Amino acid sequence: MARAFTVSSHAVRNLKRRPARTLILMTAIGLLVSTLVVAVSFVRRVESSIRATTDRLGADLIIVPTGSRGAAEDVLVENRVKTFYMDRALIDRVRRVRGVDRVTAQTYLATVGGACCDVPDTMVVAFDQASDFVIRPWLNEKLGRPLRKGEAIVGSESALNIGLGLTDMDAVLFGNTFRMVGVLDKTGTALDTAVFLDESNIDDLIRKGKPNVGPGSISIVFAKVEKGYDPREVAGRIDDSIVEVDAVPRRDVGKKVLAALGDINRIFVAFILVASLLAASLAWAVFSGIANERAREVGILRAIGAKESHVTRLFLLEVIVVGAIGSVVGALFGSALAFAPARGFLVATNVTTSLSAGERIGIAVVGLAIGTGICVLGALLPIRRTRRIEPFRVLKED
Amino acid sequence: MACLVAEGLGKRFAVGGGGLRAVEDVSFTIESGEFVSIVGHSGSGKTTLLSILGGMARPSSGRVLFEGADLYSLDSDALSEYRCEKVGFVFQFASLFAVLTAKENVMLPVTFRSPALPPGRAEERASELLGLVGLGDRAEAYPSQLSGGQQRRVAIARAFMNAPAVVLADEPTGDLDEQTEEDVMRLFLKMNEESGTTFLMVTHNADLAGRAGRRMRMQDGSLHEL
Repeated sequence: MARAFTVSSHAVRNLKRRPARTLILMTAIGLLVSTLVVAVSFVRRVESSIRATTDRLGADLIIVPTGSRGAAEDVLVENRVKTFYMDRALIDRVRRVRGVDRVTAQTYLATVGGACCDVPDTMVVAFDQASDFVIRPWLNEKLGRPLRKGEAIVGSESALNIGLGLTDMDAVLFGNTFRMVGVLDKTGTALDTAVFLDESNIDDLIRKGKPNVGPGSISIVFAKVEKGYDPREVAGRIDDSIVEVDAVPRRDVGKKVLAALGDINRIFVAFILVASLLAASLAWAVFSGIANERAREVGILRAIGAKESHVTRLFLLEVIVVGAIGSVVGALFGSALAFAPARGFLVATNVTTSLSAGERIGIAVVGLAIGTGICVLGALLPIRRTRRIEPFRVLKED
Repeated sequence: MACLVAEGLGKRFAVGGGGLRAVEDVSFTIESGEFVSIVGHSGSGKTTLLSILGGMARPSSGRVLFEGADLYSLDSDALSEYRCEKVGFVFQFASLFAVLTAKENVMLPVTFRSPALPPGRAEERASELLGLVGLGDRAEAYPSQLSGGQQRRVAIARAFMNAPAVVLADEPTGDLDEQTEEDVMRLFLKMNEESGTTFLMVTHNADLAGRAGRRMRMQDGSLHEL
């Protein structure tokens, strides 16, 4: 039985006529879309990781030793293993500042694989369970009771655990044996990569393991402000009254990274604009070639009754098929690349937040629309020229 | 009733710095059901005139009336509908689509018709027309599998697909052998007699031209009755 001629079937047949040319254009569009998807996913992921981290800390202010703000952000936002210390007596001084409601402190100890401990590089966080409001919500949910001395719980992605779901096993930290009593659920924050224990263990750790920390030291104070107080004002008050510390409102945590991200973002935008221009030019060149090559065919179609809209539809379908296939492949490739371990970007290796399925699909759909749109845009002029062909002109040239 | 009326038709092409007059002040009337032949040397303007009448080339001057309506006052879509539904055009060169079979090529004009023929009916008609041009058994062959003459006959069948009121044939038997040429001419005459289709045929062949009810000669862009 004869296949009925349809504009769409003819468009597909035409694309098959020149597979190499079709493939080149698809590849260009695919590369553009994959770059776009990787870039947007990367930026969105880092942004949301920073926001999730600061939101989930549950504190309005973060107070660190003067000059250690960068290191603290490295720990909290980028999950890097860094230490910094200040005197424990500063907790009370912070608590006394007007507008401060509650405070809690944490001490960070950095293990070094093969040097001090039996575990790979990881951050050990000692915290005061009595005053804590940062870890406890997660701990209660998972363990249902406070941590005892000699017990530790690991983050879902800590180097000690790495997805093993460790419970009821021993690990040696700074010469002390700790029983791992559980794994915290994934929080999407820096908590995921650390090991947590009660601060009552600190003296033993210092005595046996000799970490680089003296007795009576803490690393960070988390503070909640009283209702009606502006965290920024309270932070200013702390900075003014306690020279040994820097107070950072929650919203300002990660600003440095976000600013750097803004620069990366601008580079991405510039790159994508240039790539879009190149892809559109390629589509223009390819479809100009196709238009010239098929002028006679279009002339015959027009002579036997095809309207301008039929010709437009024929070429548009071709360009949409090329653009859409290229974009789908690019979006899939870009999505895979965006969520594969990005070893080239430290900030990406350390972010723990994943984008939701909805966000991923949204980014892929936007990439698909942009890729197809750029392809169509590039081909518009040749299509416009072709559909206006006066049949007689091309037929006479034959 | 007048089927086609040409009034003072002229067509000028820009060539280099000057212009070339392909058709000059041509006027005539063709009644419905007439069979008209036009003879003339190469370059005398026959194909250009046929294209103007077929709605494929806008004249530089004058106008064409089809069943009383001025063709070139129609918008682009209406002119396409005229080419699709009222006119069957037989080109002087092979004009088939290589990726379509003979039957698909014949069915092609149906695609642009509004409303379209049901696929079954279109296929039936295409088979019937291929049978009329003696290619009933070659319906599934691709143009590359057909001889030049067979391709020409497929193109003739295609021109009849939408049952046009007028067929404009430009050297329709140009590369056919004598027997096929005779078959095609008989087919044209039969269609003309049985369905009242109007024919305007351009040919170099004086014998074929002589079998038309009315003959004209084109010379240097001007048309004369014979």
